[in-house]
Amino acid sequence: MPALLEVKNLATHFTTRDGIVKAVDGVSFTLEQGKILAVVGESGSGKSVTALSIMRLVAEPQGRIVSGEVLFKGDDVLKMNDSQVRELRGDRIAMIFQDPMTSLNPVFRVGRQIGESLVLHKGMSRKEAFERAAELLDMVGIPHPRERARDYPHQFSGGMRQRAMIAMALACDPDILIADEPTTALDVTIQAQILELMMEMQERTGAAIIIITHDLGVVADMADDVMVMYAGKQVEYGTSDQVFYRPLHPYTWGLLASLPRHDVDEKGALRPIAGQPPSLINVPSGCAFHPRCPHARGLCSADAPELIDANSGHLAACHISPDERLLLQPPGRGGGVR
Amino acid sequence: MTTDHRDPRRPRANGPTDVAGHEVRAEGTTLPTLPGDTHAHVQAETATGSRTLWGDAWRRLRKNKLAIVGLVWIVAVLIMTISADLWVPPLFGDPLAVNTTPGASLQAPSLTHPFGTDKLGRDVLSRVVYGARVSLTVGVLAVSISLAIGLLLGALSGYYGRFVDSLVMRSADVFFAFPYILFAIALIAVLGPSYRNVFIAIGILGWPSIARVFRSSILSVKENEYVDAARAMGASDFRIMFRHIMPNAIAPIIVYGTMSIGGAIITEAALSFLGMGVQPPTPSWGLMLSDAKSLMFRAPWLTIWPGFAILTTVLAFVLMGDGMRDALDVKMKD
Repeated sequence: MPALLEVKNLATHFTTRDGIVKAVDGVSFTLEQGKILAVVGESGSGKSVTALSIMRLVAEPQGRIVSGEVLFKGDDVLKMNDSQVRELRGDRIAMIFQDPMTSLNPVFRVGRQIGESLVLHKGMSRKEAFERAAELLDMVGIPHPRERARDYPHQFSGGMRQRAMIAMALACDPDILIADEPTTALDVTIQAQILELMMEMQERTGAAIIIITHDLGVVADMADDVMVMYAGKQVEYGTSDQVFYRPLHPYTWGLLASLPRHDVDEKGALRPIAGQPPSLINVPSGCAFHPRCPHARGLCSADAPELIDANSGHLAACHISPDERLLLQPPGRGGGVR
Repeated sequence: MTTDHRDPRRPRANGPTDVAGHEVRAEGTTLPTLPGDTHAHVQAETATGSRTLWGDAWRRLRKNKLAIVGLVWIVAVLIMTISADLWVPPLFGDPLAVNTTPGASLQAPSLTHPFGTDKLGRDVLSRVVYGARVSLTVGVLAVSISLAIGLLLGALSGYYGRFVDSLVMRSADVFFAFPYILFAIALIAVLGPSYRNVFIAIGILGWPSIARVFRSSILSVKENEYVDAARAMGASDFRIMFRHIMPNAIAPIIVYGTMSIGGAIITEAALSFLGMGVQPPTPSWGLMLSDAKSLMFRAPWLTIWPGFAILTTVLAFVLMGDGMRDALDVKMKD
């Protein structure tokens, strides 16, 4: 039986006046039923474009998926025609957007928006869909769901809107839920609630989740697998434990080191990764991370490292040898996260 | 409109609606309102359980005195023209009845003829009232034609962009390149001057502005995340266009359309004045002005009343449109 979602060598490029931006450049991963995959990286590392590419939502004609396969239950999404993709969207693969303040349509009642995908995909009448929408609102923890379903989005707070968005995404009981930075626009207290809700919903519906974030702390507890992206490429991929406790790539070390830590902190300043993310038009030669990497050597600027399996499915793209890595004492060691 | 006018209407965060509702009422009543409006306002607020955007807009519109004056005037003119057959002929005479008896023509305003009579002895009040029929019909029909063409082309242009956009917008530029009245006269010259052709010509000339306004509105609405969300939900282009983008992009069109009715009325009057519009003996304000221009000093009532009618009616539509702009503006704020 084919995996729920298998992405192979996906590449999405954008044509701009200044040249071609390789936003996603050869990304591969597999998502199994009911698993949570976290995609981590800085702004502009290609996380969101990866997600959009899976649903074929990249804005054309500037953006183009130039190669690769996105196999959903064995069928290549990239080869489907428009109506087949539309049947997939919202029904089998649903998406939660970053900013709940702008992702609900201001002229429709919340209940009607949640019900829209049910009308579209399940052939429900508007009334049935509205009833179901109220149940969904109840499920995501909105009090007085029947009354609130009749409200307009501007009558909801940010946290409630994100709950409504989750209800909307779950309406058709999708196989995959893609959440693009679902908590970035929210207060820290609300963030925790929303993540908890997503976990709860995941257990309840059995949907697989792809959560995109730039905050490692957010995903540490919830993700099964973690994919770290840098400049459109995967630099590390592994289970949550592997990536957090035995990180292989210096970029991941940098991400982990730059997390605020409550437990072992000696009131020191945060330790950011030096430098800026590279321009995706003029990507540095060799390993894209080498200009910022404290352990870079001659080979790194000359030759791009392959993504290789270092240890039972734990992949990394780095020239540092395993023996050397032990000597460098990377900062992972766990415990410090969250 | 001042900001404090709108603040109470801003989207409210948490909390039950009735609490929010109370706030609105408390603040709302302290704001300047029309005499006698306060009570109705409070009632409306209590009656509506869930507030709608259009309901909010209406409440804001009601606070704008000038817009209400415009609305009242438009409604009054409408009622007057619709019921004209019932009361105008018996009281003031048929607008088309020529009276050749000596002394019947060019009578100054009196009790029997409150607005006086014209050189053919026809009652001016009667002609002004029936002239409103022509003006309003032309105004509404012309703008409907402009809307039908302009909305469709503007929507295509804004949504699909690229080639379609260039084609539509360059055609619009061609229309803009000609002086408006001259173009209208040329069109009428081709179609032949008649009541029907007047609104067809005005309607055809009006689409480029509507298309432009709608296009730009769609371009800005299209960038909203809820459009992406709709696409991610599996909605088709058609559905996204008509259900998600259009309702959010329509506000400027309502404003512009309302004002355009005023503009169409003026154009009709201008064309009729030049003899290229409604043909005699049909009463039209522009035509009446044209007939009266040589008698302006001997019988000033012949120009004053139709002129006043044009001025007030057009002004009413513009005030209405302006008020609607303020009333619908809140969406642009959040």
